Amino acid sequence: MIEAFLMKLRARDDVSAEEERALRAAIGEVREIGPDKTIIRAGDEISESTLLIEGLLCRYKDLRDGQRQIMELHVPGDFADLHSLTLKRLDHNVMTLTRCRLAMAPHEGLRKITADYPHLTRVLWFSTNLDAAIHREWMLSLGRRSALSRTAHFFCEMRIRLGLVGLADDDGYPLNLTQVDLAECLGLTSVHINRTLKELRERRLVEFRGGRVSIHDLAGLERVAEFDPAYLHLERRGR
Amino acid sequence: MPHYYFHVHNSIGFVEDEEGRDLPDRDVARQEAIKGIRSILSEDVLGGFIDLAGRIEVVEEGSGDPALTVPFDEAVDVRT
Repeated sequence: MIEAFLMKLRARDDVSAEEERALRAAIGEVREIGPDKTIIRAGDEISESTLLIEGLLCRYKDLRDGQRQIMELHVPGDFADLHSLTLKRLDHNVMTLTRCRLAMAPHEGLRKITADYPHLTRVLWFSTNLDAAIHREWMLSLGRRSALSRTAHFFCEMRIRLGLVGLADDDGYPLNLTQVDLAECLGLTSVHINRTLKELRERRLVEFRGGRVSIHDLAGLERVAEFDPAYLHLERRGR
Repeated sequence: MPHYYFHVHNSIGFVEDEEGRDLPDRDVARQEAIKGIRSILSEDVLGGFIDLAGRIEVVEEGSGDPALTVPFDEAVDVRT
């Protein structure tokens, strides 16, 4: 059940059999939730963290008029809110974008890990640092990249992150998002996204259709995106 | 809720909206078209040009004819 999570961690460091047992022991209830449900609201007191097993989740903030900005998309194997262990209340919301399977990790069990397993604690700390690195890259995209480059960058990032948990290959990956979801990730409108997707398609770089991203020219796509995966910290080493 | 498609016609050509979205009524669909046009134009301005000759045709699912047409120049107040 937490295989994707272990794959993601083991891509960056060793996780011993004993540490794996401790992680498995920290997981409690598993929940199935339908799409488009806000499962955590900013300000709510939280006593458990949410690990995504299947589906797509996002972190978002919104304005009074309903405009929403997604700050990170979560793929299977990601904790949506490991940081709620120390923050207690989130400053953002967490929403399902597709049907999701979630594993709940009560904070009590996570606190026990921090008391008993210093290396595993650092590995979990790494994963919250990684989220922050992704946020920084998205800030660069939202603030400075053109719509075309920003969209290309998003597809490059998702290829690597889904690939780490066995959900992507060189040709592409399933991505069950609507144009509106994509627009909310990229700070554009769905009409603008549609035009941008057409340009990426006509340049024979990438195609997004029917819930699948098909990559036609990875090198070209990465060039348009100015994609450098260093911010995803893919090096496997002791943390 | 009706389902609307937003097809864009401008100098780049025709961009068909294959997905569309559910919206409460035509007024909201019109507002969405205007937001979309402004978003496209703002990107064009950053690239140093502006083309107001385009239009968005909003088609309601189940009907062939556009429910409404929004010309790009109706989405902005141009002053020179």
